[in-house]
Amino acid sequence: MLNYIARRLINMVVLLVVVSFVGFFIIQLPPGSILDVQLQRFRQMSGDISREQVRALEERYGVNDPFMTKYWKWISRSVQGDFGTSFETDQSVGDRIWGRLGFSVSLSTFALLFTWLVSIPIGVYSATHRYTVPDYIITFIQFVGLAIPGFLLALVLLIIATRLFNHQVGRLFSPEFIDAPWSFARVVDMAKHVWIAVLVLAMGATAGLTRIMRANLLDVLNMQYVQTARAKGLDEVVVIWKHAVRNAIQPLVMALGTLLPALIVGETLVAQVLSLPTIGPMYLSALRSQDMYLAGTILVILSALLLIGNLIGDLLLAWVDPRVRLD
Amino acid sequence: MATDATQLPTSKAAATEDVGQIPQWQLMVRRFRRSKLSVSGLYVLIVLYVFMIFSDFLAPYDHNRLDSNYAWAPPSVIGFENGQLVTYKLKQTLDQVRFEWFYEPDLSAPLPIQFFVQGYEYRFLGIIPSRLHLFGVEEGYQINIIGADKDGKDVFSRLMKGSQVSLTLGFIGVIVSVIIGSIVGTASGYFAGAVDNFIQRLIELLRSFPDVPLFLALAAALPMGVPVEVRFFLITLIIALIGWTGLAREVRGKVMSYRASDYTAAAVAAGASHWHIITRHLIPNSLSHIIVVGTLAIPGAIGSETALSYLGLGILPPAVSWGVMLRDAQTIEAITSYPWMLIPVGVLIITVLSFYLLGDGVRDAVDPYA
Amino acid sequence: MTVHPSAASIASTDDVICVEDLKVSFYTDLGIVRALNGVSFNIPRGKVLGVVGESGCGKSITGLSIMQLVHGAGRTEGGRILFREFADRDPVDILTFGKNSSEMRAIRGNNISMIFQEPMSSLNPCYSVGNQIEEAILLHQTDDKLEAARRAIEILTKVGMPNPDRIAKSYPHELSGGMRQRAMIAMALSCNPTLLIADEPTTALDVTTEANILDLMRGLQSEIGTSIMFITHNMGVVAQMCDEVAVMYLGRVVERATVDDIFYDPKHPYTIALLQSIPRLGRSKGRLASIEGTVPDPYSRVEGCAFHLRCPAKIDGVCDVTVPEEIVVDAAKGHTVRCHLYS
Repeated sequence: MLNYIARRLINMVVLLVVVSFVGFFIIQLPPGSILDVQLQRFRQMSGDISREQVRALEERYGVNDPFMTKYWKWISRSVQGDFGTSFETDQSVGDRIWGRLGFSVSLSTFALLFTWLVSIPIGVYSATHRYTVPDYIITFIQFVGLAIPGFLLALVLLIIATRLFNHQVGRLFSPEFIDAPWSFARVVDMAKHVWIAVLVLAMGATAGLTRIMRANLLDVLNMQYVQTARAKGLDEVVVIWKHAVRNAIQPLVMALGTLLPALIVGETLVAQVLSLPTIGPMYLSALRSQDMYLAGTILVILSALLLIGNLIGDLLLAWVDPRVRLD
Repeated sequence: MATDATQLPTSKAAATEDVGQIPQWQLMVRRFRRSKLSVSGLYVLIVLYVFMIFSDFLAPYDHNRLDSNYAWAPPSVIGFENGQLVTYKLKQTLDQVRFEWFYEPDLSAPLPIQFFVQGYEYRFLGIIPSRLHLFGVEEGYQINIIGADKDGKDVFSRLMKGSQVSLTLGFIGVIVSVIIGSIVGTASGYFAGAVDNFIQRLIELLRSFPDVPLFLALAAALPMGVPVEVRFFLITLIIALIGWTGLAREVRGKVMSYRASDYTAAAVAAGASHWHIITRHLIPNSLSHIIVVGTLAIPGAIGSETALSYLGLGILPPAVSWGVMLRDAQTIEAITSYPWMLIPVGVLIITVLSFYLLGDGVRDAVDPYA
Repeated sequence: MTVHPSAASIASTDDVICVEDLKVSFYTDLGIVRALNGVSFNIPRGKVLGVVGESGCGKSITGLSIMQLVHGAGRTEGGRILFREFADRDPVDILTFGKNSSEMRAIRGNNISMIFQEPMSSLNPCYSVGNQIEEAILLHQTDDKLEAARRAIEILTKVGMPNPDRIAKSYPHELSGGMRQRAMIAMALSCNPTLLIADEPTTALDVTTEANILDLMRGLQSEIGTSIMFITHNMGVVAQMCDEVAVMYLGRVVERATVDDIFYDPKHPYTIALLQSIPRLGRSKGRLASIEGTVPDPYSRVEGCAFHLRCPAKIDGVCDVTVPEEIVVDAAKGHTVRCHLYS
């Protein structure tokens, strides 16, 4: 077991090194750099800047270094926990990322909980009532849920919330709580603001997982051991929930590993509509402004999350299913 | 006892046909037809694609034709006067308080709708040059059957033009990824050993990238100043590049199990070549599975194009796709004051929904036990 | 509980189960399959009844109907299944209970239990063998968990498991097919059922394991006194296991007799054909007889006797027109046949 985890972790480190290399390469591909944007802004504000000044800035940011040098500078510092300085804001990349990442992770965790709590019972209902009117309705709603773009749902909910409940739902906190210290009232305030985000984020995943749950359960219900459980005289409710769901849930457990990182990056569009300070919009703006250290770091962190998520998924699966062996 | 049996509801088809004689594909069609939702999805898609083929003919204006007299103009009022269909000239006034254009149809000034008119030039199916359009009004005025955007561009014309990108890009992207995925998956599953090992490492690496961020990074790396066609092609490649790994894994699994099966062993024993076994046994057996996975991947690919264009990393103006049009519908203002801007979003949702329903029906029809 | 007035008719003979004119149909995508077209038979207390026939003849559906476990597209459309737990009790009609009613659940696994064909998939992979046996005991016999665990190990010992303590803790995937089938038998017998329905319990096993399992079942049967409905397509197994035999063809019992009469005095042309298709030692010359033609497609309905399409003794104008009635050939031994040749 420990052996297995150790091996997986080593494999993960190797993969991350390759990911960081390839990722950094893709990110620095477009011509020009963040410096061009900055210089332009400089010129607009203070007129001309001399060749020497430009060269000094280029030197400082290493703009003209060959790719390998840039990569090496970035990766060697990253390993020491120093993610470099963002071009755009001169802030430490690490500080900027951790705050937003924390929020992204907690938002996605809520969305994930919501997804599970909703999709399992609905999937079970849908499978056990196959070809009935409620099943058709659930199926149709699922597909609509998959087809509606998240940002649109966010907008619609935003309008409903503003018009009907008369409260501001975009952003994280009400103005009076933005700089307030953590308190119960602040948490409540945050919950009031993020419910839309959680709902919107969870929508697509919920629809998808309900579908998977339904299909899996239909498969499992055809298994002989379900018949065995019925033949014992167990109540149908026990047959379904103890014997069938337990076996149908495994792909969902496996999906758990990939779903969390997927939700974290999936919120990009929604976060933009709702002006949430999460990692997605930050990554996007870093890409747009050629802030390659910031974008590269976020990409590697997200990869790491994905790989850790996969590992957790596999471990959970081994825990749920006695047939799975870790070796 | 036979008399009892005759009282049962008997379906004619079951009584008269010998089910054992029906070919497999007909059974699939029959099973597919049973799912009303999937069949309606198919019909909707057929309509959408027919509209796409005739999009230039159906669109009255070039998708970028500006007309400040029609900024935020609502859908045209259509009437019936003197035996012909008419619309009306618009009175444009500025609402001084809200600082918005305000329109009112001038019912005393009807504008006859003309059919089969000459308009902007286009190439039908990309080949035949034509200026013919289904309908239009007198030069100098506009008919906007589903309204106009902030620059007075006709939303319907843009919707039609956008369909040329949105209905094809994701589709082609999936086809390319299905081809790559099937070839690589088959090779991996069939040859096993070193080939399999290498391919599996490659897939593992690609799957270590979170897909959306990789997608965005690749799109951001695309050159900006290239023609629309090139950009279209590159985005298609990105969609294919990210999509093929999942399919390759599934095909590999299928191929491995078929390879271990008795009929493959029999073919090997009979001296069949690799090529023969792959093309005659493995691919036909995996084909239904490949088609199912492909169909189910299309809505996702369409969504990817839309999301990219929405974020300004996909198709860029002046070209238009439904994703580009989503940008215009992304504000509360647009939704509350100019709700017709949501019509393209509605069409997009219907398209994606129809593909999901179709894919679901195809899967159930091809593999009723999955 | 419903007691039928006519149930008195079986009062004189002590049958655990009396199936009367059972009809079950399946409504599928491709049409209606009439799986059972009026099946009637009885199982005397303490006896083993073999139910034989080709695949698709409705043997398994009959077994599942008694358990009320036919699900999905299958519907029971007529008939009665009278079950009598003890000789001095009135019989009850199982079909009057809802599939998931508490009455039905109290019978399932307790008074009537079932073993299935596929030992590989009939145990839940997520729970240990002991856990799955205890589940039935806790449901029907005792609320004491320790007592249930003790009984589970006791029954595992009874079915000849080596090291029953360890087996109880292990998961199904850790056991071989034969071991799993033993575990299934243990589970089925854990509540001392009046009737055990065994649906081809040895078909998926190799010959040696099959012999062991059959020995075990026969041994336990005489020890506990449970009646067994033994569903199989293997005449050799019938000879080894059963006291009486019901031969089924396309959803009907075509012949019913003692095991000796079936082998030495078969009446129905189908039974005769079935017996001729068994290979025998010392008779290696010539080809093995096979029954001409194939079982008709399940979606179509055959007029008259269902076997007339393949019957060597077919009477034109009779067999293809009317369904033969059940004819008593030997009342003393309970030998009946459904064939126009004997009317």
